[in-house]
Amino acid sequence: MSATCEYQAKDYKSDLKPIWCPGCGDYSVVQGIYRALAAIGRPPHEIAFVSGIGCSSRIPGYTTAYGFNSVHGRSLPIAQGIKLANPDLLVLAAGGDGDGFSIGGGHIAHLIRRNMDITYIVMDNQIYGLTKGQLSPTSQKGRVTCTSRYGSMENPVNPLLYTLAYGAGFVAQASPTDLAGMSAIIEEAIRYPGFAFVNIQSPCVTYGEEAQQIKGLKAIQGTLASLGHNPADRLAAMDLAQHYGSKLHLGVFYRNPEPPPTYGDLVKERQALLSKDALPKERILDLFIKK
Amino acid sequence: MRKDLVFGMAGSGGDGIVSAGDSLLQAAAAEGYHGVMTKSFGSQIRGGESSCRVRISTDPILNPGGNLDVAVALNWEDFLKFGAELPVSGNTVVIYEAATNIKETEIPLVGVTPLQVIAVPIAEMAKSTAGTERAKNTVVLGLIAGWFGIGAVAVMKGIRKKLAKKGEELVEANQRAFDAGRAFAMEHPLKTSMNVVASETKGQVKLITDGNDMCAAAAIFAGCEFFGGYPITPSTEIMQFFTDHVWKYGGAVLQAEDEIAGIGAAVGASFAGKKAMTATSGPGLSLKSEMMGLASIAELPLVIVDVQRGGPSTGLPTKTEQADLFAAAFSAHGDVIRPVLAPTSVADTFRTTIEAFNIAEYYQTPVIILSDQEIASRKETLDPIDTAQFKLVERLRPSGADLQDYKRFKQTDNHISPISHPGMLGGTYLASGIEHVESGAPTNSGSVHQRMNDKRTKKFDPLKDRKDLFEVLGNPDAPIAMVAWGSVAGVCREALAMAQAEGLNVKLLVPYLLYPVAEGVYTDFFASVQKGLVIEQSHLAQTFKLLRMHLDLPKGLTSLARSGANPFLPGEIVAALHRLLSELQRSHEGKLQPQE
Amino acid sequence: MATRGIDFANLSLMDALDLAILIEEEAEERYLDFAAQMEQHRTPEAARFFRFMASNEAKHGLELSARRAERFSDAPRVVNRSMIFDIEAPDFDAARAFMSPRKAMEAALASEVKAHAFFVAALPALRDADVRALFEELRNEEVEHQELVQLELDKLPPDSGLSDDDFVDEPSAQ
Repeated sequence: MSATCEYQAKDYKSDLKPIWCPGCGDYSVVQGIYRALAAIGRPPHEIAFVSGIGCSSRIPGYTTAYGFNSVHGRSLPIAQGIKLANPDLLVLAAGGDGDGFSIGGGHIAHLIRRNMDITYIVMDNQIYGLTKGQLSPTSQKGRVTCTSRYGSMENPVNPLLYTLAYGAGFVAQASPTDLAGMSAIIEEAIRYPGFAFVNIQSPCVTYGEEAQQIKGLKAIQGTLASLGHNPADRLAAMDLAQHYGSKLHLGVFYRNPEPPPTYGDLVKERQALLSKDALPKERILDLFIKK
Repeated sequence: MRKDLVFGMAGSGGDGIVSAGDSLLQAAAAEGYHGVMTKSFGSQIRGGESSCRVRISTDPILNPGGNLDVAVALNWEDFLKFGAELPVSGNTVVIYEAATNIKETEIPLVGVTPLQVIAVPIAEMAKSTAGTERAKNTVVLGLIAGWFGIGAVAVMKGIRKKLAKKGEELVEANQRAFDAGRAFAMEHPLKTSMNVVASETKGQVKLITDGNDMCAAAAIFAGCEFFGGYPITPSTEIMQFFTDHVWKYGGAVLQAEDEIAGIGAAVGASFAGKKAMTATSGPGLSLKSEMMGLASIAELPLVIVDVQRGGPSTGLPTKTEQADLFAAAFSAHGDVIRPVLAPTSVADTFRTTIEAFNIAEYYQTPVIILSDQEIASRKETLDPIDTAQFKLVERLRPSGADLQDYKRFKQTDNHISPISHPGMLGGTYLASGIEHVESGAPTNSGSVHQRMNDKRTKKFDPLKDRKDLFEVLGNPDAPIAMVAWGSVAGVCREALAMAQAEGLNVKLLVPYLLYPVAEGVYTDFFASVQKGLVIEQSHLAQTFKLLRMHLDLPKGLTSLARSGANPFLPGEIVAALHRLLSELQRSHEGKLQPQE
Repeated sequence: MATRGIDFANLSLMDALDLAILIEEEAEERYLDFAAQMEQHRTPEAARFFRFMASNEAKHGLELSARRAERFSDAPRVVNRSMIFDIEAPDFDAARAFMSPRKAMEAALASEVKAHAFFVAALPALRDADVRALFEELRNEEVEHQELVQLELDKLPPDSGLSDDDFVDEPSAQ
């Protein structure tokens, strides 16, 4: 692991021009990520940034980290493989609400259970933007989209409750409506020793509803700190998480005050314990010698 | 006077170029012409480079055309981004935005001198008549009406209808812009007149739709009552059509949580006795393999549409390709035969989809429809289709006698067993992916497995005799041949006509049934062939290889294959046929032809 | 707009000058970003205007840097960019594909108003007289900048009143 040096936000910005529509919330989110990474100071080449498919999944290409814009919904398995292969890397995963909670929904629970030191950022805009405006798993019931002309008949997934209920050690929500807060939360999430989830309300300026644009979000936002919330209380966090969709609570919902060993810690421990039993590789077939 | 014109227009998303193309197509249809429109754009969601191609003709159109007759460039940077998709030749009239400040003699088109080059102050006209430069697209429509005689009245009629709800001011602004364009064209006539002949079928009803909508409409007509799927470019519109309409017919549609859940729901609906469908593109087809294998061994009817796009993996989501053939025919482990059909146009997507449902129901199998991005998203005019001509096939249901001691997978003479569904008294059975005996109960017996594999593969034998699923054009004894399917078939049909007009003795085989390979049909076709091409948009030449796997191909039959997003043009295929002719003639040097 | 970790009460003149420079730098970068976005989305007039604004911000930055160099030569900077968030840089939300020059100028105007508000809000907390003088000067300059942008705005012909959405193409699926 290299010593942290002086890095600025712009050191994490690549030359690739985003395809995002001007006004897209993701421009703010990527700035927040640049700032958070600068505050942490890991060199860009020691960072692996994995995503799935969607507008927001283009984000690794706009950073100077090693990026992997993979397939729809599978950023987390790939991120886990990277972390297990090289635990010293700083591993980030990102994607949209569809990528994460629809097709990718089956993977989140398992990364939480394993508690690998990976930070997962979801840019939540309640719509499928890249494919032109279909219903997403976080779209409100009754929402009219091009695959729900008569209104959605489904209740939305609650990303906050989902991750809290599965036992995630760090769950937070942020939004470009509070830039300083957002980059602080991303930084804190990355620093948290274990799996960390940040849900970011990042409006889609092309397909998003009026009420969910920046102005609309500002009208329903408030910080968890101002409510006197204690982030060490998981049940209180889950209670507040139920307001997802009607109130925009910004801040840390839950942070485990005594982070348990990460999966990586346990792997290291096991490797250390068992290394003395290793046969030299050229003698590995001795395992099959009949005693 | 012309009978056929190919327009190619490019600008940015903000210029409304595709919108203009759409208006032009609608107006052409209203005037009784045949028309086809394709579009192509950059990777930004909005405001990237944007282009469309509109072909208008007095005769039915086989493909979007080769070189442009008319090129409209609202700016050169964007026009040039489309490269081979908008080819300019010495017969092209080039119209471009004067505000680009490029002289007519210095336009940035390499290696070609167009027929005529005209700089038009389009943006200025838009600004001064409509009050906004954004009305450029309407000015262009006016220019086209003036120079080529298309849509003089119909375009504005269409625009009025489209914008009726938005207010008179907007409509009037468009009218002024249109009139200005038309006036400019009248004041600056073309050196060579390129007016299109009036259509003889003016006044007759014409349909306009694209391949995706056509496929979905055909499915509903065929009796499909369930659709399960997931958004993926370029097939999402099929699902959208179902979400708009299927409820009206008592059916249901589910935008599932992912591709596998989408096909899973369709498998369930089929198990429950309903005709069911899913639609996707390459990446989704890969995900669906396991479920397809399940449907095959459980002998459940199912239609899977794969609208092919550039691959592999995420590939080129907005470009067409024909490289999913191997995946369609072979993916899913184990010994499986899964029929694969392919339409060649928006018009024949209707009957191909119906055929897919008929085959799925009759043979109790998943069937894949291999459409492609071009057919799926291009808009075509069509003559009305008489739906009464199509017979719909239902799955073989058990009779009262069958239900006395019902065996779901009973061996029969044609290997097709009556199929029950939940709710049918006496028809209870276990469906599963595990190998099974006649009743459906699991088995791991080698002899049963052999018998069941025989059943599941031999039941398809009659399909291989379906000559009606192939089209042969040209002289059946021709020594020079082409084989092509999907959107490439349309290009080859035109190439065939051009080559025949030049005296070549050529024929074309268009398979609508790609798999199982109908060896007999191909063997008959290849009997007279000495030189030929299998033409496809697949880097690995999958069709050529698939044919070689199943038959002895004539030595002179070779592959003309390349990656998708590199369209074939009729002219280049004709040139290739000429080369084959030369080779053929050289090989016959000094030989006296046997007298028949 | 926000700040983080700035001790206004004990702000030194050097730090204040450096902050002012960083504020201009942040704004210049944002305007350049906007210009790139406009070019990427084929909105050239707005792109040109944003480049013009970027060069203005750069100019102000240079003037301030010259003053800072004169007073404090190359004493190391204590404050940094992580302390400021969109003080004078236009909000991300302000950009739109196909935005008219009028909308672009309104975005610039809003930024100048924002920056003005920042200096006004900071003044009561400042204890150092030199720093107060600097902030008052910067506050007044923002008023001048607003007037300049307003002048440009007034020169513009009125917008057509027609909505862009009625002309531009639908977004494309990828």
